[in-house]
Amino acid sequence: MNIDKIIFSMILGGVGLCAQTTPPDFSGVYYPLNPFGRFAGGPRAGAPSQSQSQTQGPPPRPTASAPLSDGSRGRTPDEPSLTPEYMAKWEMISKTRIAGSPEYDLTAKCLPPGMPAMMSMAYGMEVMQSKDKITFFSELNDALRRVYLDGRKPSQKVLDDPTYAGYSTGHWEGDTLVVDTVALRDNTFIEGFTPHSDAMTVHERIRLKEPGLLEDIITVTDPKALTKPWETVKNYRKAKPGSGTDELREFACAEGLGEAK
Amino acid sequence: MKVPAIISSAVVGAALLLTSLLLVPGAQAHHSNSAFYVTKVITIKGVVKEFKWTNPHVWVILTVDDGKGNKVDWKAEGRPPGILARAGWTPKILQPGDVVTIDLSPAKDDSASGLIARVTKADGTILANAPPPTE
Repeated sequence: MNIDKIIFSMILGGVGLCAQTTPPDFSGVYYPLNPFGRFAGGPRAGAPSQSQSQTQGPPPRPTASAPLSDGSRGRTPDEPSLTPEYMAKWEMISKTRIAGSPEYDLTAKCLPPGMPAMMSMAYGMEVMQSKDKITFFSELNDALRRVYLDGRKPSQKVLDDPTYAGYSTGHWEGDTLVVDTVALRDNTFIEGFTPHSDAMTVHERIRLKEPGLLEDIITVTDPKALTKPWETVKNYRKAKPGSGTDELREFACAEGLGEAK
Repeated sequence: MKVPAIISSAVVGAALLLTSLLLVPGAQAHHSNSAFYVTKVITIKGVVKEFKWTNPHVWVILTVDDGKGNKVDWKAEGRPPGILARAGWTPKILQPGDVVTIDLSPAKDDSASGLIARVTKADGTILANAPPPTE
């Protein structure tokens, strides 16, 4: 093989590589794996599981209606590591929740959960994708975030105007969508009711781990609130067409606000 | 005519009681799970007075005999219609007059309300509070 042929082969190889890096299509409706923990519709929630249907017995009486989420059992090592100032905030909020108050619960006020908490997507997620933009929609509180893929960067105007979902820009690295989110309000939570500062930024690497299984590796950085960056991984299963679950339902949260008066 | 003080106090007391009942956070408010003892479950049985298929929570108003000759209307709060629909519920799955058993977590404020763990209809049909887990 002479040098011309080698170069020609390299060019062809390069074209082949380019063809392989056509971005994957994430579009679809997804549900997170086990969004409600061990209580999700399974035996503890009263629904017969496969093993129960095999044993024919009535499903056992549930022992809980939802996972405990008031902080009364403290924090676990896999949760974000908070600085003393923000740990004190967390403890203060925990006390209000243990007392039964919704004061610090944004979603109870029909507000968006905000990034990155919204990526829990407990009630389902719809991904809408085009060449220049990918949009993530959360059934919970009809929350939305847009990720711009056209190369734009957040302007100073954007940075001066923080929002719940923040401002997200992304690019493809092979089959992985790499997203950075800035301009986030400081009254939302990282997850649960873990507080953060106005300096929080979120980095994500999103890919189809296997057909129909979307993975989002989320890294949260906040020099004021966190002693170190915090990483979490979310996995979402794509709903099959015709399964009856491949359409999300309108949430219209404000419908219930009247009930609260 | 001057209202006797004792009656006035009673009226004010009743008004305050009524007001407090109307403002009970556990009663039909939209709130987080923190309003309930989610890891406790009690069981009530009664007659469906009203089924509200509304966001962000559905409500079952259940008339329960308290065993002392009194009828008490319990307010059982469920997850949103979207998620319950995926668990097999429909907007008309419960009708006024239906006799049902509800397992629910009681409210922290001691009001006659709770967070639904499951509903069991008279024919034994179980309505779970979430769809089966995604795997």
